[in-house]
Amino acid sequence: MSMRPANFDYQRPTSLSEAIQLLANNDEAKALAGGHSLIPAMNQRLSTPEQLVDIGRLDELKGISTNNGTLSIGALSTHAQIAASSDVRTHCAALATATGLVGDPQVRNWGTLGGNLAHADPASDPPTVVLAAGGTLHLQGPNGTRSVSADNFFIDLFTTDLQPGELITRIEIPSLQGKKNAYVKLAHPASRYAIVGVCVVLEMNGNECVSARVAVGGATPKATRSPSAEERLTGSSLQVAAVDAAAEALVNDIAGDVMGDLFAPEDYRRAMAGVYLKRAVQAAMA
Amino acid sequence: MIGQSMTRIDALGKVTGETPYPGDINLEGQLWLKMRFSDRAHARITAIDTSQAEALPGVVAVFTAKDVPVNEYGLVIKDQPVICGPGSDMPGSDIVRTYMDCVAVVVAETDAIAAKAVKLIDVTYEDLPAVFDMEAAMEDDAPQLHADSPNNIICHYRIRKGDMEAGWSQADVVVEGVYETGYQEHAYLQPEAGLGYIDEEGRVTVIVGGQWVHEDQEQIYHALGLPPEQVRVIYPAIGGAFGGREDMSVQIVLALAAWKLQRPVKTIWSREESILHHHKRHPMRIYSKWGATKDGKIVAAEAKVIGDAGAYNYTSNKVLGNTNLMVTGPYEIDNVHVDTYGVYTNNIPCGAFRGFGGPQGAFAAEAQMNKLAEALGMDPVEVRMKNVLREGSLLTVGTPLPKGVTIPQVVEACAEESYWRRGDGAWHLNRPPQPDNPALRRGIGFACGFKNVGFSFGFPEQNWATIELHGGAEIEEVIVRQAGADVGQGAHTVFVQMTAEAVGVPVEKVRLLTHDTAKTQTSGSSSASRMTFMSGNAIRGAAQQALQLWQDEERPAIATYQYKPPKTTPYHPETGESEPNFAYGYVAEAVEVEVDIETGHIHVIKVVCANDVGVAINPQQITGQIEGAIVQAQGYAIMEHLISNEGKIQNPFLSTYLIPTVLDVPTEVKSVVLELADPRGPWGARGMAEMPFIPLAPAITAAVHDATGVWFDEIPMTPDRVVTKLREHGIGIL
Ligand SMILES: Cc1cc2nc3c(=O)[nH]c(=O)nc-3n(C[C@H](O)[C@H](O)[C@H](O)COP(=O)(O)OP(=O)(O)OC[C@H]3O[C@@H](n4cnc5c(N)ncnc54)[C@H](O)[C@@H]3O)c2cc1C
Repeated sequence: MSMRPANFDYQRPTSLSEAIQLLANNDEAKALAGGHSLIPAMNQRLSTPEQLVDIGRLDELKGISTNNGTLSIGALSTHAQIAASSDVRTHCAALATATGLVGDPQVRNWGTLGGNLAHADPASDPPTVVLAAGGTLHLQGPNGTRSVSADNFFIDLFTTDLQPGELITRIEIPSLQGKKNAYVKLAHPASRYAIVGVCVVLEMNGNECVSARVAVGGATPKATRSPSAEERLTGSSLQVAAVDAAAEALVNDIAGDVMGDLFAPEDYRRAMAGVYLKRAVQAAMA
Repeated sequence: MIGQSMTRIDALGKVTGETPYPGDINLEGQLWLKMRFSDRAHARITAIDTSQAEALPGVVAVFTAKDVPVNEYGLVIKDQPVICGPGSDMPGSDIVRTYMDCVAVVVAETDAIAAKAVKLIDVTYEDLPAVFDMEAAMEDDAPQLHADSPNNIICHYRIRKGDMEAGWSQADVVVEGVYETGYQEHAYLQPEAGLGYIDEEGRVTVIVGGQWVHEDQEQIYHALGLPPEQVRVIYPAIGGAFGGREDMSVQIVLALAAWKLQRPVKTIWSREESILHHHKRHPMRIYSKWGATKDGKIVAAEAKVIGDAGAYNYTSNKVLGNTNLMVTGPYEIDNVHVDTYGVYTNNIPCGAFRGFGGPQGAFAAEAQMNKLAEALGMDPVEVRMKNVLREGSLLTVGTPLPKGVTIPQVVEACAEESYWRRGDGAWHLNRPPQPDNPALRRGIGFACGFKNVGFSFGFPEQNWATIELHGGAEIEEVIVRQAGADVGQGAHTVFVQMTAEAVGVPVEKVRLLTHDTAKTQTSGSSSASRMTFMSGNAIRGAAQQALQLWQDEERPAIATYQYKPPKTTPYHPETGESEPNFAYGYVAEAVEVEVDIETGHIHVIKVVCANDVGVAINPQQITGQIEGAIVQAQGYAIMEHLISNEGKIQNPFLSTYLIPTVLDVPTEVKSVVLELADPRGPWGARGMAEMPFIPLAPAITAAVHDATGVWFDEIPMTPDRVVTKLREHGIGIL
């Protein structure tokens, strides 16, 4: 296995528009943020960009803020910054948890939310949370700006709705304050990537769950919602039977899509998706 | 000096990074070597075209089978070609029998050129039928891998003691199991590397990491057809071994290339190359049936052991010899019937690995013992105490153990220091409370074991030491020549401590000359828990004689001593009767686990290990060995799953072959070090470094059974296997 990348050209634009211009001009150029997905892929020659456009110092893509409770997270925010942000902990605790569980300290200090979502690795944590939380991705490209809901952003394994030359500028997440939410994961022992990760967002009225969003990642080619599990939880009081039924429904929803490997074969991951839904509900209600 | 945790003599250099390992050493003008390995599990090589590789600029030479003067090697049986392919006069060396066979060697100006060139070698194979299951390999119609081993059987050991029919007729309960153990990769820190060159006296010299310099030398000079004194082997620091460096990897080809080219030649294997191309711990399948009376006395034990040797013997016949003895545990049983087979297959070869057949035997034996306890409704410690070998007890092979049998003391010490209390004349288990979370279940398990120190079963054991006393009126410097390999276990520190003690000088006065065939005589291998025992006796003998010469006014006073332990004998071919070993170690372990019954994760909370070490020459190194063995055995039992598909390893990376890290190790390990002297050991010391490995896997399966009610007769217990099996029993997720 090669551990050195192929040759490439390197650019460090000083503005977002310059970066977009560079990317739009060259089909073989790639944006470089934290480099913690792209560089390993280049080292293994899975990715061989001609040019790297280093967006890492663009202030336009930085910062975490709230506006009427809606979280706005700059694409360059690192996992560590997000995990430590009190705004994130207040308005989307599950995202703070998920980013805090990414890889190891080095990965969390370098890897960015924008890079993570753009890469759309099936074993990633943040996509699952952004999807369950009903997040929106703000994009800017050669044809201007647009926004895409997380429901429409993730298309397949390593595939998103991003168009050539487009960058994620920030991610908006409606405040989940007052809703119960949690992310739990079964981590691969070596890489710490998710074998299965489940995020639930539960709106409670007294003992009754009046709405639920459930997403699963790790086991499936992309972060995936489970409409049947959401249905089982909604209107229930989250009693054991209802949560068990939701777990079973989730497993059925994703059944045909589950991926496996030597460590965690398909059957095992499928079963774990159900287990981790139950654990996510428990964690949210704890 | 004995009994002190002296700072290791290699500590400073290793922690500062100054100490060179084989891969760190370079010589001016050195070339780089790369090996091309087989692309088939079993095939005849009909042609090999090296012309494209040779034409690549920077390539200096390509060697194939025809270039090896005596194209065979092997630690016990020389059954493996150094290089497979046509053109060699060694019969059968044109056949590859495993993916790890070498088919060509490229030497080039740089590592990168050599790596490129090996891919340009065109090998034409004619596939042969292959066999990957050890029992299928024993069938009459199976492909035969080696002409002189009908039905692919390398060794078949028998034990016939007592009268089985009488035994079964006394049995009130009978327990049975089919036990399956997996491969294990040594995963030492330093992958294989070395440097071959011609030294200042014209000797073909190889700098490498190994476990026995003189054995490496023997294998090299045999293959090169050279007289012994023209080959020299030197070890710098060795980055771990665990048995995995007992056989040849890069040694012979480095020597061959340096000799042919008369230039220094270097190679470093990647982790992937290392995992793919050195031997593993034997997977075994063990059928076992034991019977006992209702008061807990075992009256009959029957076992059939099959070990997958892979394509070549390595040390399989020795490993299986140990399993044959250990598969009925450290118990006195009157009626015993054991058949043990080592079998060739087209899988990766298997050989030495810490415990050397002991862990597989103990896995079956201790599970049987724990199942007996369950069937009898008896405490597992109590039932062991009714059966353990004692001073004078007869082994299954009809002879008593050497004096100093301490398995009863070890079992009781472990029980007492862990979860058991003695009351009303019996042992009782005190279980800690269960966690509140219903997905988590805790359990306690117990197992014990014994293992021989040294290879024995008739093996001519020896260890040489030379002591030189320099000075005038008083001894100013002591030079000790002792070849024994320090594979990271701290042997060299102990050599210095024992020399200082034997001569009666402070350790600062002792200088060790070691790891070099040109400066020392043979020590035997650093394996089989033997090095402290053997070298200590040799150092003591040499010191006594040197001190006598010193008394007689000789300056310097130099004495060389060869220690030979009492003779042993091989198994009788029909009955197994023998005096198998001259020394043993004894150990017992109690384990507390927490099983997540939904995810299948097993967390080892605590291990209490009682190990009789005879005397702890360096107590810190003793606890280091105990803790290290436990972590390695935990990996063996739970995590380490080497997957082979039709002879091909599927996960040759540390990202996919998972070994324990700091996040996985037991929360607590309590080492209970017993010092009950071995009358034959130096200052009473026993071999100990394999012992703590041996009973851990069955102690864990017993603890998992205690937690869940389910017996796991197969290891490793990876999460998906655990979940699958628990679901079959209606536990956890349904
Ligand atoms: C050892 C290790 C362990 C890891 N463990 C985990 C884990 O447990 N969970 C987890 O979720 N992840 C894990 N990761 C991945 C990590 O989170 C990555 O950092 C992240 O996926 C990518 O972010 P980045 O900033 O490093 O992106 P880069 O590697 O720089 O880029 C990744 C891709 O995204 C594109 N890109 C980057 N920024 C943008 C943008 N703003 N707009 C559009 N495209 C963009 C790049 O062109 C590239 O194609 C791990 C990584 C490593 C190396």
